[in-house]
Amino acid sequence: MTAGGAPSPQVEVVPLGRVNSTAAQVVAANLQALLELDAMVVGPWPEPAQALVPARGQYDAGIILQDLATPQGGALRLGILGKDLCVPFLTYVLGESQLGGRAAVMSLHRLSEGEGGGRAPRHLMLERAAKVGLHEIAHVMGLEHCRTAGCLMRFSAGLATLDRLNMGFCPACRRDLIHLKIQLIVKAPAR
Amino acid sequence: MSTPLQVLVVDDELAMRESIAAWLIQDGQQAAKAEGGREALALMEQREFDLALVDIKMPGMDGIELLRRIKEGHPDTLVIIITAYGSIESAVEAMKAGASDYLLKPFDPEHLMLLLEKMGRQRRLMQENQMLRQRLAEGQMAGFEDMIGSSPEMLKVFDQIEEVAATEAPVLIVGETGAGKELVARAIHNRSARSFGPFVAINCGAQSESLLESELFGHERGAFTGAVKARRGRLEMADGGTLFLDEVGEISQKMQVALLRVLEDGSFLRVGGGQPLTSDFRLICATHRNLPELIAAGEFRQDFYYRINVFSVSVPPLRQRREDVIPLAEHFIAVFSQEAGKVPPELKDTARRALISYSWPGNVRELRNIMERAVIVSHGGIIGLEQLTFLEEGPKPGSTAMSLAEMETEHIRRVLQAHGWNITQAAATLGIDRTTLGRKIKKAGLRSS
Ligand SMILES: [Zn+2]
Ligand SMILES: [Zn+2]
Repeated sequence: MTAGGAPSPQVEVVPLGRVNSTAAQVVAANLQALLELDAMVVGPWPEPAQALVPARGQYDAGIILQDLATPQGGALRLGILGKDLCVPFLTYVLGESQLGGRAAVMSLHRLSEGEGGGRAPRHLMLERAAKVGLHEIAHVMGLEHCRTAGCLMRFSAGLATLDRLNMGFCPACRRDLIHLKIQLIVKAPAR
Repeated sequence: MSTPLQVLVVDDELAMRESIAAWLIQDGQQAAKAEGGREALALMEQREFDLALVDIKMPGMDGIELLRRIKEGHPDTLVIIITAYGSIESAVEAMKAGASDYLLKPFDPEHLMLLLEKMGRQRRLMQENQMLRQRLAEGQMAGFEDMIGSSPEMLKVFDQIEEVAATEAPVLIVGETGAGKELVARAIHNRSARSFGPFVAINCGAQSESLLESELFGHERGAFTGAVKARRGRLEMADGGTLFLDEVGEISQKMQVALLRVLEDGSFLRVGGGQPLTSDFRLICATHRNLPELIAAGEFRQDFYYRINVFSVSVPPLRQRREDVIPLAEHFIAVFSQEAGKVPPELKDTARRALISYSWPGNVRELRNIMERAVIVSHGGIIGLEQLTFLEEGPKPGSTAMSLAEMETEHIRRVLQAHGWNITQAAATLGIDRTTLGRKIKKAGLRSS
């Protein structure tokens, strides 16, 4: 889905505090490869202390999104956190995003969990990170959840469901993504 | 394709209801928000919701009270109660008061997802039950119209039904009033892959343009005077099933354009609505008018005609399949006798001849009405000429009515022609063996032309 000579929308992958840098690179590479977005890892931001919910020992994804959201027309942002994320009404989230907005955030915290409480192999953790990043950025582009089996836009609450998803979008979602990307390019100011 | 759930989130905490609603929208559902019971009930007066997520602890009207009121006023809306960890009693109370389920705050994401899937399944089940009840209610009224006929004309119609039922393409059914066009439409639906979906019928000739528009497309609250409540249109109701537009020749050009647009891009707006909706339906239209003539006269749009007339099925008038008259009459006698708790009366020969030679301007529907009345007024187990009341002047005794023997010959001739004079096939259609057929052909002096 190339858009001829038009510039691809930019995505800044922002480590929030200390974050596995390979994971950040893999996420950015997959945004490039699968969504053909101009994605790059930028310098880390400090850990978002203001988003910590002391009673839960987790970080409130909504507050982080507010800080990440860039003004209309600039790059989209995907924050990556090593700590656990939540929203007020859910016990945890793997990622969270503004639908059709400017920012998304994801957590690596749970992605290393293996079967039966052990650690998952490194390649599996990286694959999961790429899936969550692609899913959340697709939301930011305006894509809703999809019910097609295996499609990356299926809602996956846990790792078991996440692991069953393909590393890619179903044809219907791919078609929608082309239109959404064209809209993003049209809305973006000339660089 | 699952249609989105219409969800109402009721929570006094702003952050909570905002984030739940945002999550639902991202999940492809439709979400509205209310900060308390009164506001929730007011919203429910305006539009229908499939599901309400209700926080149990709210100032003023609490969640359990709201649940009771919803169950009273909107029994079709499913309610899930949101409660805090550690308050098991309130979850129990909610379930007893009719909640479909409960969620402990904060929710486990996997649990929330499973619950939404479950609610989607429950709603589909409820819709199917509604549809089934409606079909049963209609069936009791329309049961008389089981399609009956062994005339070559009707056998051709049955073949066409089978053929088009296997496709998804629009069908235009043409035929005179009372000939059974809706029965054909239902038969196509029932044999199609959509038979488990709804069959939604609307008579386009029976209403004004503005009424038809809101019937078809639905309307939002306040779209016009009297629209006090938002309503789903037939297009939405037919999602997953078949939409049957009867008397399509009567609709205005403006409505033809509107429908054409729906058929072309698959989305539409409710009257007074701004959000495009989609519905996946198969279109079947019917008319007693000659549409090509209407097109020539500039009264019907050619582009619309091409769209709805991918397949066409022509239902013959009863006078062109006279051999079906007696089997139909006997079928109606059986049906109405059973309804009236009577022993089925017998048709006298005079009555039979009158039925066969009548012109049937009102087609099968008229035959059905005549037989219903005849069964009621019959006594002594017999229906004679006196019990038959025809719409037009009935045939006079001694007129050119065909005798039963003549009718039989005519019927055999047509069946033979339909089968290209293949005796084996014709005998099978007639339900007699080859030898008998051979004898009848000889006796009547029939030969292939
Ligand atoms: Zn998602
Ligand atoms: Zn998809």
